[in-house]
Order: sequence, then structure tokens, then C-alpha cells
Amino acid sequence: MASITLPVGGGTQSGAAEAPKLRVSDFLRWSVDHKIIGVQYMAVALFFFIVGGTLAMLIRWELLTPNLDVVQTGTQYNTLFSVHGLVMIFLWIIPMMAGFGNYLVPLQLGAKDMAFPWLNAFAFWLIPPAGILLIGSMLVGAPESGWTQYPPLSTLYSGDGQTLAALSIHLLGISSILGAINFIVTIKNMRPAGMGWWQLPLFCWATLATAIIVVMATPFLAGGLTLLILDKIAGTSFFDAGNGGDPQLWQNVFWFYSHPAVYIMILPGMGMLSEVLATHARKPVFGYKMVAISSMAIALVGFTVWAHHMFTSLTPELRVPFMITSMIIAVPTGIKIFSWLGTIWGGKIRFTSAMLFGLGFLSMFVVGGIGGVMLAAIPFDIHVHDTYFVVSHLHFVLYGGSVFTIYAGIYHWFPKITGRMLDERLGKWHFALTYVGFFFSFFPMNFAGMLGMPRRVAYYLPEFQSVNTVISISAFVLGISTFVMLYNIWISMRHGKKAGANPWRALTLEWATTSPPPSTNFIDDPVPFHDPYGYGDKDSQAYLDDIDKRFGVGEDVPVPRPAVQPAASGD
Amino acid sequence: MASTTPSKPSSGGLQTTTIIAVVVVGILLIVGGIILGQATPLLFPQQASAEAAQVDNLFHIMLVIGGAIFLLVQGLLVFSMWRFRARKGETGDGEPIHGNTTLEIVWTAIPAVIVFVLTILSWQVFNSLQAPKPGEASVVVAGARFNWAFTYNVPLSILGYEVDETLLPPDVKDDLADDGTVSITSATLYSYVNQPVALAMDARDVIHAFWVPAFRVKQDLIPGRTTTVRFTPTVADTYPSGIQCAELCGANHGIMRADIVVAENEAEYNKLLTPILESRLFPPADPVVRGRAILESNVYPCYTCHVLSDLSSANWVGNVGPALDGVADRAATSRANATSQTAAEYLYTSIHEPGAYLVPGYGNLMPQLGVPECDVWAMVAYLATQSTSGSAPFEVVQPDVCIPQVSGPPGSEPPPAGEATAEAAAETEVVPAEATAEATAEGS
Repeated sequence: MASITLPVGGGTQSGAAEAPKLRVSDFLRWSVDHKIIGVQYMAVALFFFIVGGTLAMLIRWELLTPNLDVVQTGTQYNTLFSVHGLVMIFLWIIPMMAGFGNYLVPLQLGAKDMAFPWLNAFAFWLIPPAGILLIGSMLVGAPESGWTQYPPLSTLYSGDGQTLAALSIHLLGISSILGAINFIVTIKNMRPAGMGWWQLPLFCWATLATAIIVVMATPFLAGGLTLLILDKIAGTSFFDAGNGGDPQLWQNVFWFYSHPAVYIMILPGMGMLSEVLATHARKPVFGYKMVAISSMAIALVGFTVWAHHMFTSLTPELRVPFMITSMIIAVPTGIKIFSWLGTIWGGKIRFTSAMLFGLGFLSMFVVGGIGGVMLAAIPFDIHVHDTYFVVSHLHFVLYGGSVFTIYAGIYHWFPKITGRMLDERLGKWHFALTYVGFFFSFFPMNFAGMLGMPRRVAYYLPEFQSVNTVISISAFVLGISTFVMLYNIWISMRHGKKAGANPWRALTLEWATTSPPPSTNFIDDPVPFHDPYGYGDKDSQAYLDDIDKRFGVGEDVPVPRPAVQPAASGD
Repeated sequence: MASTTPSKPSSGGLQTTTIIAVVVVGILLIVGGIILGQATPLLFPQQASAEAAQVDNLFHIMLVIGGAIFLLVQGLLVFSMWRFRARKGETGDGEPIHGNTTLEIVWTAIPAVIVFVLTILSWQVFNSLQAPKPGEASVVVAGARFNWAFTYNVPLSILGYEVDETLLPPDVKDDLADDGTVSITSATLYSYVNQPVALAMDARDVIHAFWVPAFRVKQDLIPGRTTTVRFTPTVADTYPSGIQCAELCGANHGIMRADIVVAENEAEYNKLLTPILESRLFPPADPVVRGRAILESNVYPCYTCHVLSDLSSANWVGNVGPALDGVADRAATSRANATSQTAAEYLYTSIHEPGAYLVPGYGNLMPQLGVPECDVWAMVAYLATQSTSGSAPFEVVQPDVCIPQVSGPPGSEPPPAGEATAEAAAETEVVPAEATAEATAEGS
């Protein structure tokens, strides 16, 4: 066997690495430290999660009855769900994933920072003004055309708020592109000695795939939004059929970005999931290469499926090719699901909160995936297009998918970011409430949609009231569950148990330094273990013991250490 | 494929127990999928078209397969969570299994085959839905915020009696001279059992989507192009709010609905259309009555934005546009002054060319509705009576071409010009209109 690789070059220093103290003021000002930027992204995203969630609660309150009663006009209702969608996508999931990427990618690569630290900070600071613009858009005239902003409703009929919303998304698009360029360069150029492409942690693979999508797709959104804004304020008529334009042009350009955007939102989560499942099941990721390659396959095929969002508007002859590609993309997604099941099979599963959300993801995402294949079948899609069936599907992949992985990521990496553990008991409450609230919010929507309830309506037929009541009450439970997590974060930041460097005994490099890491991340150049998921390998035990020895263990040891370090591992 | 994952990935040949486990689990999954598939009829509304049966069958197949995959994944998940949980005091890691090429090929190939089969099946169903059917009836659909209108071209022969064509209103004569049919418009979609229908659809303002859940068909209406949707109803029934707009179109998108009436056969269908045709052939002589009847029929979407107490029974409760109570007084005074038109001209322009003069405080939201000339003048005559005094403060002169020549069907029927037609129309027309009103009245 090869000699044991130690996480710290030479391993000569004795254990006294001190974790730096975090100060709130550091996070309120311009900083080029990727860790501070990462936390800034996450904090802003969490704030907007609350904003978007509040809008969702208002929507569900309105939908308790078949009539308009909570809000005054249908336009106000339309504004609620339009801004809800935009906030959740562009100000919650995407920045949150970018926050994880910023925090983790340099650490997982053993690097001191991102390739372009200043650009990184600039990309973040575009977000607060964009957020203000988007929230402000609700006050100056309703953006009432949904997050999809289809003209001519958006261009000829919606208020000035629509223009502000479009400007806001434009800024966020620029921020995404700048961030993505940074990720690509960082991952390509800053891998340490000993980390080839096939030793790259899967979160980095996923971030790379995501960044490639962002760089290739987001310019289309920018182009489309430019035309939309010109139509609104400069009297052009790109999308106005009355003056020679074509409303469907927008749909093609928009979905050419926005379908890949679905993968922008889910791929980083899938990367986090691979880390969480392997670590907490104490087993290598099953089929590592296939998981990595399938991310790239999804990124590639993801560019060929956009018009399946247009199965009721596209020229009929053009629909079939998009059905074929949409069906094909189910295959790499299936590979991932089965690989994750293979990962936990035969493991030593530890039911930490992070792991529960990881397992919850598998359980919920498969529902969204099956619904997705059904939606790819044109004849069925025609029936349920623009109904609650689609609302259910998209929330299963974006909430049951992305948000569950974000939650898993929060429980998994909070100790690294703050140096303290989140409370596991509260974490389990959070999981239970989220899982139940989520399932009963979104699964019954399938029935409502198939039976005839369209989406984006403030009025519905009285026969749908019972199912909507179930949905709304579950949604309120889901809303409450969020505050359990926020409370957990709030108290654990100050009073959580000390985490130590590597509470989960994980092998990727971010754990081979103090929690939180010093401003240069590592004291020496760290040496990665030859396999980022080499759990069950005897060498890995020695490597992990060395981290414990070097940095010490925390007050809480969620993953018990083998009694004496040279002892052979369990089996 | 599930249970091959586990036991002895390292062993050379598959053990008998593993094979038995795979077969048993496979059978259980198929049975489970079939049981879940039984739920299909509960998940859909009434199956009322030839298309519905095809779509439901396709879904049934997908539900069986999807159900089996759902059970497989959840089953593996729960089993693993129980079987591979870390016991108290356990410190070790799991087995360092990095993969299994055979297994990975299997779980790539099986989903690939499944989606291939589903693609072929879907393609076949889709082709059949799209294919033009022999003997299709054609109906023209106009979608405008927030109303549906259906225009039928019918021959005079559906009346069942002779009509003296020379006495028909001039615009009807033009229509007849074109292709031997008269176009009539209704806010309700009529059809009959086993008659294939092709709808040619136009959007007046924004994108709408024509959706009939009971028929499982949906198609967007896109400004600037005409789109087509086909269906063949199979169940004679009245479908209140059977049509629902499915593409976000603005404030009242949720109540952009319309009724469908599917008759038993062609004769019944003709009977349903007859009163609408008669009201076109023999319109009330009084333009005020005529105008009120047009507005009350809701073939134009005026009611979705304007409020008018006189027509509240026809659901004129919109709150987007200017209220029309007392509009005659305003037209005669402030609006006539502001636009330097006569009151009648101002009302005419406001309907015919909505963007020309905007009432202060209101945006340019009203679309060009393509209302025929004589309908506009009849509406103007009626709106001129909407004053506080109750009588028209100004005179509306009807163009010659719009003055109907009093006529009527021969035989026992009294001349339908006037009340007889209105009543006949009321019997068929108003019933579904009330159904809509009920559904939406609760909303307001």
C-alpha cells in the first residue's frame, strides 16, 4: 500500500492551530475573502427566502377560498406569485448555491481564494441593489405576468414594476455570469498537486457543470430582457404582434435560458448531496465517475429541451424533437438517483439532520423526476400544462430537490463556517416539519391539476376548495418549519457546541483546517487524500486521525472516533 | 435490478438467493405499479372526448411504470435506512465499494428503454390528436381578456323553414352571398356527439390558452397567428365552465371560463343554434333593444372590465375599466367637450377604436375587438339610454345599412323581430350564462 498521505504538508507542526474569531462587522462591508463573500451570499439569500416565503403564505391564504378575498384585485394576486417566483429563483436558490460554491470550492481545492477575488466581491454586491429593485417593483406598478414574463401581457399590459423587475433580473444575470467565470477558472487552474480531475470532489464537479451552463445560457436571458425592456420603455415592438413582432420569440429565448436554469438550481445541490450522503453513510460515492459525467451530460442535454415548456404554443410539428430530448435527460438523472442509493447501500448510516435532508431529497426528488417524465409526454403535458400538476412538479424538483439539498448543506457545513454545531434536536424537528409540510403542500397539487385547476388563478371552482385547504394548511406548517431552522442558526451561532475541524470525519479538504478556517484557509499547502470519498479505506482512517490530532476534536463528536487511532477500521 | 445492488458485489457469479430476491422484488414492483395504476380514472375529470380516452390510457401506462419506480426507490431507501443504520457504539465505515459496472449499465439501460417506449407511445397518441379528421366542423374562437366567443358559419337550412332572403338585414345578405352561410356568435361552445371539431383560434390582446379538462385538449391562442385545436366530443352533456383559460392573461384570468353544450345529435345541435341564428336574421327593430341584447349575450368581453347595473344579471361587474352607469351623461358633457366629438360619435369611437380617447385615470387596456359596424351602433344606442334620467340625453342615428327590414319566419310563428326572438334566445342562451354567473358571482 501507498504511504499514508497526511493532510498537512510534512505534518511537522504540532497541534496548536487556532480558529479565527468571526465578527459581524466583517460581513457588512466589501471583502474579497471568498469565505466572507460566501456567507454574505447565504445571508442575503436567506433574507430573500423569508421574503419569498411570506409571499407564498399570502398566496396560500388567498387560496383557502375559491374567491378573491385576502387581496383586493386579481392584479395584486398576480403580483404576489410573480414576485414569489422571481425572488425564490433569482434571489434565494441561485445566490444560495453561489454562496456554497464561493465558500466551499476554494477550500475543497486546498486553495487560498477564488481565482479573481475582486470580481467575486463585485458579483455579490450586484445582488442587494437587484433585490431592492425587485421588491420595489411591487410598489410602483404590478409586475403581474408571472416569473416567465410572457409578452404581450408583460410588455403592453403590466405596470412599470415589470420594467424594474426585468432590470433587477438583468443585474442578477450579470452577477451569475461573473461568478460562473470565476468558478470555471478556479476549478480548472487551482487544483492542488495530487488532485486530478477524477479526484475532484463532486461538489466541485457540479459547480463546474453549473458554471458552464450559466456562462452559456445567461447571455440569452440578458438579450431577451434587453428586448423586453426596450419594448416597455423605448417603443420598440419585438414582441408586439400588432406591430410586426412575435410574442413567441420571447418564449424561445426565455426558455433557452430558463430550462438550463433549472439545472443551475439543482446541480450544485446534487453535488452537495453526494458529499453529504457519502460522509454520513461512511461509504464511497457509488459510481463516482458516472455521477460526475452525468452532471456534464445533464448540462449538455439541458440545452436541447427548452421548448417542452411550449408544448401548447409551439408549432405542432416542432414539439416531437423536444419530447425526445426531454425523455433522454431522464436517463442521466436516473443514474444519479441509483448511484446515490448505491452509496448508502452497505454503509453505516448516521441519521444526522444533514443526512435526513439528504435522504429526504432522494425520497422527494424521485417524485419530481417521475412527474417530469410524464410531463415530457406531449399528450399528457397538453392536458396538465399550466395547471397545478406543473406547480407540484416544479416545487418537487426545486423545493424537494434544491431546497432540501440546501438544508442538508446548511447542517453539514454550518460547523465549518461558524465553528459551532447546529442543534441536532431542533434539526430533526425542522426535518420532520419540512418533510410532512412539504409533501402535503405539493403532492395534492397533482390531483388538483389533473382534475382541472389551472395555475396562477386567484379564483377556482368550488369543487377544488377541499384540496386547496389541505395544501394551504400544509404550506403554513412548511412556513413554520423554516423558522425552526432560523432559530437553530440564531442560537447555535453563539451557543452551539464547538465543532472542531472535522466533526463528520469527512475526507474533502475543507475539513483539513480549522473551523472557521483562517483567512488564508490553510496554514500550509494541504495534501488531499487520494480519494475524496475513500471511506472504509484503512489509510483514510489514519488521514482523518491525523486531522483530529492536528486540529483537535470538538465538544460534540457526532461521528465517533475509533477507540485507539492505529486500530483497524470496523470491518 | 434493485436487489442486485447489495449482497455480494464481489462474488463472481450471482448467488441463487440473490436471483430469487431480484425476481420476487421485480414481481412485487410490477404488481405494485399495476395496483397504483388502478387509480387512473380517479385522477381525471369526466372522460368526454375521443382524445380523453387516448390520453388517459397513456397516463395509465406511465402511472404503472412510474409507480413501480417510485416503490423501488422508496423501498430501497427505507430498507437501506433500516438495514444499514449505524448501531450504537459502532465506529467503523461501510464497505469501500466504489461501483459495479454491470449494475451501472443495467440502471442506465433500463430507464433508457423505458423512455424510448414512452416516447414512441406518446408520439403515436400525439399524431392521432393532431391529425385532421374527416367531416370536421370548423368553429372560430376569439379569446380576449377575459372572455371566450365562438363563431359558427351555419346555412339557413338549419332553420327548418323557408326564409325570404330579400328581406334579411343587409349585412346578413353580404354574409350569405359570400359562402351560403351566416356567421353567428355565442359565448357558449356548442357541439354534438361524435362530431369532430377543429377550432381556429385568435387572441385579441394577450396570450390565452383554450383548455377543456373533460376533453384533455389545450392550445394557446397567440396574438398575430391563428392556432388550431381538435377534439371529438363523446358524451352529450352541459359542461358549466367547461372551458378554462390556462395561460396567465391578467387580473381575472381565473374566471376566464365558458360553458360547453354537447348535443346528442346534429338535429339537437341545430335546435341549439337556431335561436342565435334567428336573432341575427330577425333582429329587434329598436336599436336600443338590439344593443342591450348584444351586450347581454356576453359574446364581447366588455362585462369583464366594465360595471353596468342594468346588466348586472349578465355579470357586468368588472372593475378594470370605467363604470358605464351614467355614461350617456358624461358622453354628452365632459367627454364630448374633451374630445370635441358629438356624444354619439364619442361612444362609437370608444368601442370601435378604444385607444383613441382614454378616460382620465385609465390605461390603454381595451383591445380592438373587431365588433361589426352595426353591432357598435346598436351598443351606442343602448348606452345612450344609460343616463341618470333614464332616457337618452342625445339622439343616435343608425346608419341605413344597420336598419333591419322587419320580417319573420313564415307559418304559425309570429314575426320574431322583437320579443319572440328574445324569448327564444333566452331559453337556450341565458341558461348557461346564468351558470357562469353563479360560478363567478360567488367570486365577487
